[in-house]
Amino acid sequence: MAFLQIADLSATYGRSPVLSGVSLAVEKGEVLSLIGPSGSGKSTLLRVLIGLLPPQAGSVTLAGQRVDYAVPAALRALRGRCAIVFQQYNLFQNMTVLNNVMVAPLKIKRRPRPEVEEEARALLGKVGLSAKLHAHPSELSGGQQQRVAIARALAVKPELLLLDEVTSALDPELVQEVLDIIRLLAQEHMTMIAVSHEMGFVREIATKVALMSEGTVVEIGTPAEIFDAPRSERARAFISKIIRAH
Amino acid sequence: MGYTLQYGQVYHYIPYLLGGAWISLQIAFLCFCGGIAIGMLNAVALAFGNRLAAGVARAYVTFFTNTPGLVQIYFIYYALPDLHIVLDSVHAVVLGITLNAGGYLALILRSGFLSVPVNEIDAGVTLGMTRLMLLRYVIVPHMIGVLYPAIGNKFILMVLGTAVAGVFGVEDLMGRTINANAESFRSIELLSITAAIYVAMTICATIALSGVGMALLRRRVRFAG
Ligand SMILES: Nc1ncnc2c1ncn2[C@@H]1O[C@H](COP(=O)(O)OP(=O)(O)O)[C@@H](O)[C@H]1O
Ligand SMILES: [Mg+2]
Repeated sequence: MAFLQIADLSATYGRSPVLSGVSLAVEKGEVLSLIGPSGSGKSTLLRVLIGLLPPQAGSVTLAGQRVDYAVPAALRALRGRCAIVFQQYNLFQNMTVLNNVMVAPLKIKRRPRPEVEEEARALLGKVGLSAKLHAHPSELSGGQQQRVAIARALAVKPELLLLDEVTSALDPELVQEVLDIIRLLAQEHMTMIAVSHEMGFVREIATKVALMSEGTVVEIGTPAEIFDAPRSERARAFISKIIRAH
Repeated sequence: MGYTLQYGQVYHYIPYLLGGAWISLQIAFLCFCGGIAIGMLNAVALAFGNRLAAGVARAYVTFFTNTPGLVQIYFIYYALPDLHIVLDSVHAVVLGITLNAGGYLALILRSGFLSVPVNEIDAGVTLGMTRLMLLRYVIVPHMIGVLYPAIGNKFILMVLGTAVAGVFGVEDLMGRTINANAESFRSIELLSITAAIYVAMTICATIALSGVGMALLRRRVRFAG
């Protein structure tokens, strides 16, 4: 069985179905890119995976263990192995950059402070923010904030990293500095699911691309298969749209 | 109609007036604390209470924010004795300003309760925070950040608002100004000194508040006015 196995996953917001019968498999070290039109359920899928929205049906199996989203202990365990980076960064505005990165290992995992601080400084160095340790998020550019958010996610040492359109809120000149870090993570074989429409980037780092439409996965394959030879009409229409947009 | 400014004749009132200013600050602080307590009860009822609690709170807030504060104190001082509730002027004024502030502070506090940092909560939850941690590290700091400037401004307005006490013979800054004026008739000199003392009080209060705010939020909080 794959490292992450999603089978027949469904979810609803209130009454309206948002995900229906999503099945996907991600191997360790793989980078799965989720693409698809706005509203097709990409963010919702990530939110279900990390336990922000309870699934209605179906199953998620991580490292051979089925995740029971109704059990708090199972959720806690999940959040120790899985982290997410949001489109809008979602940094804690009342904490410094360093505290944003330290809060989870220090307060949630209750690890000793010297060790946590050393790791946090190293992570912030890795994302190029050693000079901003004591700044507040509101004093940073969007690209810098998103790099803090990546460092914060990495601080829990996740085995699976979820990225939800992490560059789409950024000014064009700031996109690259964030993509560079994700590229570095891919080279380090971090397992990732990344919602992204940066076509060139997806081609470069994704091992697999899944196209979503109306709450379900309509096509899955290598970047070349999806972008150069889409099989379904829906996929062809969407791909030609994002190619034109770039 | 020549008027010769003769500050020399009123300088000896300055210590007396400063003593009044100290009383004004004490009244403001007392009323502010009481107002926060009443405002908190009302805000909780408005934001989270059942229909009855919310209704009572809404009636309270509507009454106290839609009638003049002066009328409210007049009522307490002159009308309540007819119902055999007799308060001296200081107590009547403090009670009146407190009840009035409770109405305004309820609205301010409610706005804080209703401003929920949804994105930050999502981040906290996915990092594994418990409800208590979310409150402590995310929700309460956010509320303080939202509320502190508005509450600080309200406090400064209350310092100035205590001048109403003078009307009822309380020896606050305004009351002592009225007394000194009755004795010396140097209105322009006295009132200009009194105005300067009020300005100094609000400047001190503003500096103190932003100092506390900086310590509280570890960043600059700006106050309007
Ligand atoms: N909080 C919410 N409440 C109700 N409906 C929502 C909410 N968030 C998203 N939706 C709906 O769910 C569908 C999928 O949304 P989303 O997962 O955000 O799509 P994508 O990320 O692919 O753009 C959309 O139809 C959207 O309107
Ligand atoms: Mg989305």
